[in-house]
Amino acid sequence: MASLSYDEAAHLLRRMGFGGTTGEIEELASKGREGAVDYLVNYNQIDNKPLEDLLAQSFDFSDITDNQKLNNAEIRRWWYTRLVHTRRQFEEKMTLFWHNHFATSSSKVQDFYMYLQNLTLRANALPRFDDLLLKMAQDPAMILWLDSRTNVVGRPNENFGRELMELFTMGINDVVTGQPNYTEDDVKEVARAFTGWDFNQNRRDGGLNVQFVIRQNLHDNTTKTVFAGTPYAATGNLNGTDIIDILSDRPQTARYLSKKLLDFFVFPVTASNSDRNLIDRFANVYLNNNHSIKALVTAIFTSDEFFSDRARFALVKQPVEYIVGAVRMLRGSFIPGSNLGEGRRQVSNTLSIFGRSMGQDLFGPPDVAGWDFNLGWVNTASMLERFNYANAYISNRNTTNPGLFITNDELKKNTKGTSKKTVKKFLKALGPLDPGSDVVKMLRSYLETDDSGNKVKFVNDDLTVDKKVRGLVHQIMCLPEFQLN
Amino acid sequence: MPISRRQFIKRSAGAVSVTVVLPKLWLADALAQSNNPARRIFVVIQLAGGVDGLNTVVPYTNSRYRSLRPTLAFPDTELKDAQGNSTILTSDFGLHPSLSAIKSLYDAGRVAIVHGVGYPNPNLSHFLSMDIWHTANPIGGQGDGWLGKYADLNLLGQSGLSAVSVGNSLPKSLFGDKVVVPNISPAGGTNRFVNYNYITDGRHQGDRNNRLNTFRESNSRSFEPDSFIAALANTGLDALDGAQQVQDSVSRYSSTITYPIGTAGNINNLAIAMQMVAQLITTIPGANLFYVNLGGFDHHSQEIGNTRAEGQLATLLRYYSEAVKAFYDDMVEHGLVDNVLMMQWSEFGRRPNENASRGTDHGTAAPMMVIGNPVRGGLYGEHPSLETLDLDRAGNLKFTVDFRAVYATILDKWLGADSQAILGERYEDVGFLG
Repeated sequence: MASLSYDEAAHLLRRMGFGGTTGEIEELASKGREGAVDYLVNYNQIDNKPLEDLLAQSFDFSDITDNQKLNNAEIRRWWYTRLVHTRRQFEEKMTLFWHNHFATSSSKVQDFYMYLQNLTLRANALPRFDDLLLKMAQDPAMILWLDSRTNVVGRPNENFGRELMELFTMGINDVVTGQPNYTEDDVKEVARAFTGWDFNQNRRDGGLNVQFVIRQNLHDNTTKTVFAGTPYAATGNLNGTDIIDILSDRPQTARYLSKKLLDFFVFPVTASNSDRNLIDRFANVYLNNNHSIKALVTAIFTSDEFFSDRARFALVKQPVEYIVGAVRMLRGSFIPGSNLGEGRRQVSNTLSIFGRSMGQDLFGPPDVAGWDFNLGWVNTASMLERFNYANAYISNRNTTNPGLFITNDELKKNTKGTSKKTVKKFLKALGPLDPGSDVVKMLRSYLETDDSGNKVKFVNDDLTVDKKVRGLVHQIMCLPEFQLN
Repeated sequence: MPISRRQFIKRSAGAVSVTVVLPKLWLADALAQSNNPARRIFVVIQLAGGVDGLNTVVPYTNSRYRSLRPTLAFPDTELKDAQGNSTILTSDFGLHPSLSAIKSLYDAGRVAIVHGVGYPNPNLSHFLSMDIWHTANPIGGQGDGWLGKYADLNLLGQSGLSAVSVGNSLPKSLFGDKVVVPNISPAGGTNRFVNYNYITDGRHQGDRNNRLNTFRESNSRSFEPDSFIAALANTGLDALDGAQQVQDSVSRYSSTITYPIGTAGNINNLAIAMQMVAQLITTIPGANLFYVNLGGFDHHSQEIGNTRAEGQLATLLRYYSEAVKAFYDDMVEHGLVDNVLMMQWSEFGRRPNENASRGTDHGTAAPMMVIGNPVRGGLYGEHPSLETLDLDRAGNLKFTVDFRAVYATILDKWLGADSQAILGERYEDVGFLG
């Protein structure tokens, strides 16, 4: 079993999750490479009671149609509460991956369907891809988002059929060979196979019971021919499940999915021969393991490529990683507040508001293609939002009301007797980051400069912690190194 | 949609940025200089999702239009706004009833409508087709944006803020090799620019300068060119400089024009964005290239409401029309109306044949509008035929005017650029600029 260094464990936790305290990273490192991945992937075995209790105290979603309690802001607060407080970090990260992959937005779909879709994504995040695809094809939010409801015999609506192939399975062209994967005729035929796919909803027990149905009178029962003239050609009275079976078994899907996972979790994949071979290697893991997502991600996270120099800090942090990571690494606090009961409620939406300002509105990706990663996050406005989030995090001293904060007591745990040790300790906690001795010098100089610009000696006292150590965290979070993951 | 990593890095790590500190002299004289007749301002309005061209510029006398759209087609009797003002343009065409504000500008000769705009081998994917328009590259939509190329050639080296996108993110049209155009996201509240600032801990404001100094110093290090970290540091510094400039400038904007921003639940985000553009135009004399957008035009279902004059398309077109009119009036008030040209586009039109859900599927060619005092108003180009034999295999319109000809006309006749250098080829002058 391969060993796992502290830096490797921190890398693994930042990628499979959002990062942790030095104690959490040391514990993960002690499990070794396979052991740590196994622990994070098999998250169902991790006790998550503190989160469950917090959610139960904070959210009342017993009637999902009650838009006082389940609405645009509340589903976002709910997800951020999970992100910050869960012990099952990979569950959240994988759900985020799928949310981006099956990008659906509350701009068009009601919030309670978005919430239900999120539950479906997390419940099906790791088994067979076929099953997840089918769940998404039958998902009310997806049915509304891509107009499946209006896809009926004689008047097909191509929206879902097109995106199923372009974005959810194969891509327009094979990501390895560059060959086209389907034609416009295939789009029309696939759309016909999904005609009549819809859902019923009944009020029951104060909630909404949603049931997928195929409306036989609206389903096209004539012959369809897909992928004519290719090894994947099929003809007959095909339905949506048949299409999903074909698509999920095509090597082009295996490659597309592998590339997307590598881009999201490892490094930006190039068109080089070695990267194409890498895609193929993982595509085969998928094809040889009955389309198991769990097998595929386990292979990726235990690979040497994942731990290679090329992969380290090779991605720009997504806004949600920036937001949640800073809280988890320093043991900051996020009190979500509660919507239980009637009357005036105190809740905090600060995390989701910052996330949206930085360009990542959870439950609201820009379009069906999802977010644009890496430099897609980087523009002058979104960078200002990052810097201002860092400032908001360290400036809030209200530790009783719902909101985001970090206490002086937590900051003191990382504050040492000298400026050098303090800087190094915080750089380690927030990464570990190694920005070089020049930056250490700059940050030490910051700690040792008073309001008039004069050099003063660093002393570990309450005022220094409240002013300078908070400022140090702000400044580390503004380093370009901290923007990377 | 996908851009190669290499291109993306080049874009953001460009050596020179347009966001540098504005000379103090300009700030003081901004308003005095604002009616410099040579100033040429260009505002791009993207309507995303694929606007239904046939129900925007309506061929209301065309019998095929009515037969293809038994539910959606407007008869001439419905081409009038809520006050009863006709939106009919000619004996063949009328505007959607929501466009009555645009109609008033059309009547004044300020609107050029170009029929049938598209490109060869149309792509029906939102993302690819948008990329094709953004890059003016019909083969896969790869490469820099057409306005990014323009900025690289024509705006590089200008001091002060010269180009801004207002919206959620920077559009690909503005991706260049050398110039980094900032994007500003509107904030809620009265100062839409309020978050566009580097904020520091209010409890220790005495430490603010130390933080700004540390920030500048740590982000001014040199990094490997074309790396993410170089782009992050450069953009971070740009963010700080640009924010300071914008804060100093926009606070001096005043106007008597009321923008139709709407109320909670019915917010006209385009009106908000266009007012922000007006704030920048009127206070920063070198700021001449702007980009705004309004999304949601993907009306596969319920395009119309209880009546054809209501519903999703009607609401969005009204947002567009009213935002443009308020902005136009604001430019009049500031003596800049002769200096501003607006261009509207969408990634494609919609299928002539309506679908079963009172909506329309992805189509191809559609009209474009070019608006402002510099244009010669009227209808340009040939409207595509709706006859069955003239439609393509998917039942879509065949384009009659290449969108690059519209770009070329604007580049050559308004922006004083060399359209061939930017678009790679010469295109025929569409004729809407003198």
